[in-house]
Amino acid sequence: MGTPRPVNQYGRRDPTPQEQNFIYATAIFLILLGIGSIGTLLYFIFTNEAIKSAIDGDGSVVLAYLDGFGISIPIFTIGIGLGIAKLGYTLLRHRTITAARWTVVALTWMTIGSLVIGVVRFVVSGQPDDVAGETGFQLASALASSSTFFLMVIPLALTWFGMNSIVDTLFIGEEPLTSANSRVAWNLLIPTVALLMVVAVRPLEETFITSVTNKRFATGEQEVEFIGLDNYKQLLTFRFDIVECRKDDNNECLVNERTGKVRWELIDRDLLEEGYRTADVVGIGGGRGVAISGTDDDFVLATFNTLRFTVISVILELTLGLMIAMVVNSSFKGRGLMRAAMLVPWAIPTVVSARLWQTMMRDNSSGIINKFALDIGLIEQSKAWFTEANLQLGSIVAVDVWKTAPFMALLILAGLQTLPEDIYEAADVDGASKMRQFFSITLPLLRPTIAVALVFRTLDALRVFDVFQVLLGRQRLSMATYNYEQLIANRDAGYASAIGVVIFVLIFVFTAIYMRILGIESDQ
Amino acid sequence: MSENQPTQNSVLNKHNVDRVMNIVGKITFYILVGGIFIYTVFPFYWAFNTSIKTEQQAILPTKYIHDDPTFSNYEAVFNNEQFTNALLNSTIVSSISVVLSLVIGSFAAYALGRVRFRGRVFMMYAVLAMTMFPQISILSGLYGIVRELDLTGSVMSLVISYPIFTLPFTVWVLTAFFKGLPSELEQAALVDGASPFQVFYRILLPLTLPALVTTGLLTFIAAWNEYLFALTFTATNADSYTVPVSIALFSGEVAFQDPVAEIMAATVVVTIPLIVLVLIFQRQIVGGLTAGAVKG
Repeated sequence: MGTPRPVNQYGRRDPTPQEQNFIYATAIFLILLGIGSIGTLLYFIFTNEAIKSAIDGDGSVVLAYLDGFGISIPIFTIGIGLGIAKLGYTLLRHRTITAARWTVVALTWMTIGSLVIGVVRFVVSGQPDDVAGETGFQLASALASSSTFFLMVIPLALTWFGMNSIVDTLFIGEEPLTSANSRVAWNLLIPTVALLMVVAVRPLEETFITSVTNKRFATGEQEVEFIGLDNYKQLLTFRFDIVECRKDDNNECLVNERTGKVRWELIDRDLLEEGYRTADVVGIGGGRGVAISGTDDDFVLATFNTLRFTVISVILELTLGLMIAMVVNSSFKGRGLMRAAMLVPWAIPTVVSARLWQTMMRDNSSGIINKFALDIGLIEQSKAWFTEANLQLGSIVAVDVWKTAPFMALLILAGLQTLPEDIYEAADVDGASKMRQFFSITLPLLRPTIAVALVFRTLDALRVFDVFQVLLGRQRLSMATYNYEQLIANRDAGYASAIGVVIFVLIFVFTAIYMRILGIESDQ
Repeated sequence: MSENQPTQNSVLNKHNVDRVMNIVGKITFYILVGGIFIYTVFPFYWAFNTSIKTEQQAILPTKYIHDDPTFSNYEAVFNNEQFTNALLNSTIVSSISVVLSLVIGSFAAYALGRVRFRGRVFMMYAVLAMTMFPQISILSGLYGIVRELDLTGSVMSLVISYPIFTLPFTVWVLTAFFKGLPSELEQAALVDGASPFQVFYRILLPLTLPALVTTGLLTFIAAWNEYLFALTFTATNADSYTVPVSIALFSGEVAFQDPVAEIMAATVVVTIPLIVLVLIFQRQIVGGLTAGAVKG
């Protein structure tokens, strides 16, 4: 390269031979890293125990691969690997500032990434394995699985340091503004994207994959098989039939003495033989009812419970929330205290609120709700709020409403305070009553706030877990607690995953609606 | 004065009617306010009222006010290792989640809130979708991974899984805050030759400090209250319970049934810090949540 030229007007100069060699070395290092990351991925795939035994004819190779590696992370790794290799190639041929700056970004995050992976593997592998009878931190296995990553940090950090010190003096050209912006942005977004890939995208994908298998969490060896959409078929096959009630001699509908429910005839024998079981019957008058039956009647019932819970609780919360917000919106002494009091139910864990109400709603007169209702003559004898079938859903809704309505009120209150004062003054001048003002001014103006609060609550209610699990356990299931029971009590990972996917799809639809309402401005 | 003269003797004087109506209105209003206050606060009173009973008294027919207080339940709760461990576990897990989400999330929020680049809108949608991500639908996939990593029954399983909900939330709320900052400062600094990263941590980050505190607090509460993952991953090991799991699966000295009074003492203990936080930060909490929920 000859003797280095003097510094030019942009503060840049040509590199010395050593510097040029360093740049070449960096470029080759990048290419090797890029290819190496893909190679490492392939190495892990081919040395994976499950895949090896699958290749030996012990089950499906594709399934073993998907179960161990999934789709998103390999694609991500290959994409990043190719990108880095291409960056190295560019750097080898041109000394452009754009490539150099992207190189610094890549090196920064690879250094940090290796360090983080090393630490995580160190901590995870160091955990004592109870099965093997180990106690205390396992230093040897911790070091064994993390040392490669710790060793990688050294060359990465050194190269980063070297590149960082020459990037503004030795490289030529101007970086376009769009490239600079997106470099800065992705530089900042990489940790978030990487973390969410690992903790959210990968488990979601794993759930989708498992949902088409018969995987179980059993202690013994078990072969996982691809069973297509069988899980979904079992879950989602349902039908509606008209059934008659059972009649007594006077042609009146028979009623179950204990539960007070009408007794219905069974659905057709053929259907029963096909595997349909009736989950619930809704009376439609005239001694007839609609029977909802499915191949998995527990799931049908859980869905039915969840939907009923969602509709009732969301409507009640909105109504009550609006009322509370209207009251608290006027100024009075102790308004601050009132707001704090409204926040507390939201702030405590749902489990705690469930336990509070469980104590208040104890099934004899040691429960304050029974005591109070008896005292004012609302009921004649104590009720078992969480065990009587026709009270359960109402009780759960009551607990949920107590926890959420005040918070709903606070959201609406925030919306109320953005409404312009002068409309109300004008309405007062025109002699409109307060009632009229509420319905023709306040409600329409609050519509966006209410819409957001509604969708938010609906999403929360559809995945309700905590209150159902704590207060009703297995007595009455929501979709989420049914999922939990299938996973933990039945160890049926495949089936539980299919339920998870169904809930995901349901909520995804609502989320799409929500995003339509909210809208993200496209580009300022 | 003279205009009021003709009607002054009538009881149905318009002025009087107005005053009466006004007073009736005020009374109704304060009854409503009082009713709402009692509705929201009564369960806490009842928890305290039950926590100062003995277990025998707690399952007998009750009175509105308990006149024979004992604090032995609080003693029992603090001697209950499962519960004190749970307080420690929850503190550790929630703190790690907050620090991790704030550090990583504030980077992402700055990029999304202040830098124009290709893919920004897509990332915004992705983050927003993730704030509404149903945890239950990845439960079985995540449980499989946690089992593979041998982390069942360990607090580590929660440390690695809580970013699923804390991180998108943090990014979303902080993005709203970053967007609201004036752009003059940043441009002035860029003209003076500061790098974008310097602008971020020298100028914008200090300005968003109040927002960081608020978001951190909200994230802490979310992690502290989480039940589904905690129950699924740690239920096999009582040493790893978090507060919600510990309260849901509470077992006291009386083994044959739910120790009601002790459970209520435990709920009082975990509720008091939250009440204090809410009293101090109520304005910021509502502000932060509306920023996350209402602004785009």
